[in-house]
Amino acid sequence: MSGALRQMITCHWTARRIQRYLDADPAAPLTPGEVTRLEEHLATCARCSEVMRQHRLLHRALSLWSGRRPVDQASVDRMRAVLDDLVDGHQR
Amino acid sequence: MSETSAPADAARRRAFAEIVEPEIEVMLRVARSITGSTADAEDLVQESLVRAFRAIDRFDGRHPRAWLLTIVRNTNVNMHRRRRPIAVDDWELIHASRPAFGSVESPAAEEVYVADELDGALQVAISGLDPKFRSALVLVDVHDLSYAEAAAVLDVPVGTVMSRLSRARERVRRALGPTFTTTRGEQS
Repeated sequence: MSGALRQMITCHWTARRIQRYLDADPAAPLTPGEVTRLEEHLATCARCSEVMRQHRLLHRALSLWSGRRPVDQASVDRMRAVLDDLVDGHQR
Repeated sequence: MSETSAPADAARRRAFAEIVEPEIEVMLRVARSITGSTADAEDLVQESLVRAFRAIDRFDGRHPRAWLLTIVRNTNVNMHRRRRPIAVDDWELIHASRPAFGSVESPAAEEVYVADELDGALQVAISGLDPKFRSALVLVDVHDLSYAEAAAVLDVPVGTVMSRLSRARERVRRALGPTFTTTRGEQS
C-alpha cells in the first residue's frame, strides 16, 4: 500500500472518530488503542489537526452562548420550593 | 409513593430530594428550550416534579438526569396532547434571550473575541440546519447534555443523537470555514 493511500485511509478513519474523541462521552468511548492511533495521526497530519482545531473552536463558541444565558435564579428558587413542598407532603 | 413505614417513607422523600435538587437548573433550561418561555418552563418542570415524585419507586437509581429529562419530555407531550418531534431551541430563541454584554459573569477576553468573531456566522449556520440536527447540537453543545441525556429528551436512540450531532457539527464547521481561518491562532 502506498504511503499516500495509507494516509488517506487513516484520515478517513480519524475523521469518523474526532468528535467521539473530543466529547469523551461515556456512551461512546474510544478504546485506548483508538486514542493512541488518533493522536499519533493528528501529530503528523496538518489537515486533520486543522479539522480538530475547528471542532474545538466551534464547541467553545457554542459553550459561550450557554454561559451567557443562565437560568433565572428566581425560577430555580421557585422550583426548589415546589420540591420542598413535595418532599414535605404539602402538595398533591 | 406506595404504602411504606414512616421511616422508610421519610428516607425515600429525602432520597428523592437529593436526586432531583441538583438537576432543577438543567430541567429548567431544557424546559425553556422546549416551551420557549420561562413561565411555561416553570409550569412544565413543576408538573414534571410531581410526576417524578409519584414515579420514584420505578426509578432504578441510575442516570437521574436522563430519567428526569425523559419525564420532562413526556410531561410536555401529555400537557399539550399532541405528539410531534421536539425541535429544541430555535437558534433565534437563544439569540433573542441573550442578555446585554457585561450583564453576567465576564468571560476571558480571548473567549469574548472567539464568540464575537463567530457570532453572526454561527447564527446563520445553525439557523440553516434541519431542526432535527439543530436540536441535537443545541442540547449537547449549548446545554452540555450527554449523548444519553439528549437521547432521552429527543426520544431517539443514542446512536441517532450521535449521527445527528455529527452531521450538524460538520455542516456548521464547513459553513464557518472562512471565519475559522481568520481566527487561526486566536484560541489558547
